[in-house]
Amino acid sequence: MVSKTEEAEVNRLESQADNGGGGEWEYLSLVRKLKLRRPDKVLKHGLTILNDPKKRSSLGHDEWTLYEQVAIAAMDCHCLDVAQDCIKVLQKKFPESKRVGRLEAMLLEAKGSWAEAEKAYLSLLEDNPLDQVILKRRVALTKAQGDISGAIQRLSEYLEVFMADHEAWRELAEIYVSLQMYKQAAFCYEELILSQPMIPLYHLAYADVLYTLGGLENLQTAKKYYASTIDLTGGKNNRALFGVCLCTFAVAQLTKGRYKEDKESPELQSLAAAALEKDYKLRAPSKLSLLGSTLRSLKLSS
Amino acid sequence: MAVGFAVGVLGVLILSHAAYSTIQYRTLLKITEEEFSGPPINVVFELLLGLVLCMWAALAVPGKVVSLPSNLDFMIFNHRGKAFPLECTLKSK
Repeated sequence: MVSKTEEAEVNRLESQADNGGGGEWEYLSLVRKLKLRRPDKVLKHGLTILNDPKKRSSLGHDEWTLYEQVAIAAMDCHCLDVAQDCIKVLQKKFPESKRVGRLEAMLLEAKGSWAEAEKAYLSLLEDNPLDQVILKRRVALTKAQGDISGAIQRLSEYLEVFMADHEAWRELAEIYVSLQMYKQAAFCYEELILSQPMIPLYHLAYADVLYTLGGLENLQTAKKYYASTIDLTGGKNNRALFGVCLCTFAVAQLTKGRYKEDKESPELQSLAAAALEKDYKLRAPSKLSLLGSTLRSLKLSS
Repeated sequence: MAVGFAVGVLGVLILSHAAYSTIQYRTLLKITEEEFSGPPINVVFELLLGLVLCMWAALAVPGKVVSLPSNLDFMIFNHRGKAFPLECTLKSK
């Protein structure tokens, strides 16, 4: 996931390029490296380079990578003619390439010709039936057609073979959450946290799913995962801070009247509340009173 | 931002005026003891106008939406962006 410095750098390059200050290639390379999805900017700045023969020739071999990046951005912005032209150029240069074949199939997907895209992917799979990228594109194709259960099935089959593919686990978890199948989503997030324990996004999503499921045990576990998210992000993630406050409140609601074991100190929630107030004072002082009243209703602020 | 807000306020005012007109119309019908089949046609137009203004304001006023880190392997292309294609061309070699 993108760090604050990298995000700041990308935004700086983007505003520089937007204002005509050059640096488009650096911006596009950084977007490609960080796997960001900013199709309108990529398309605009990519075409600035590609339409200028001097800038294009200065890229050398990277020109073809740029054509690919611009083709995908064009498909995302629904400028299918631009995408078609880029792919034609790539086809002329690399006639029998699988990578270009994949781009052609993606273009068919973007046009909405689902059956032809499926045929294209199947023919690409004939030569190499275990091509991960093509198999994943097939899942995306099923999802784009609206067949969510079909997408789940294909994705599960894919994961039986490629169990270590964390992008696929993440996609499956998000699909389950969209269908409100939270237990299955929790399982997927558990797999993700096991394989990549240092990524705060998964801890946060897992905590969200557990909080949604509800029940005393789930709430206590959710609070632990919100706390680990705060730990991993250095206290900067507001959603996790809110999560801690809400979990504490929900647990208190559930254990009202019962004997409070009090093994967890109340410091965590008051520290989270204090951190939230500090951040709001810094970034959104007009909303500080709103935050104060919310925290007071959760009995966390004085 | 301020324009969107003003449009929203205008939309709400139009909707409330339409509601008031409908209530007046019903009172009139009660006096003449006729059936209330539906609001008069000009109130319907007013409702539609109020709806359009409020929806426009609702879309224009809130701030920028930040999305989660993207999962590029599974990206799909039939999203709402299809309705607003950018005007670009690639000049051929």
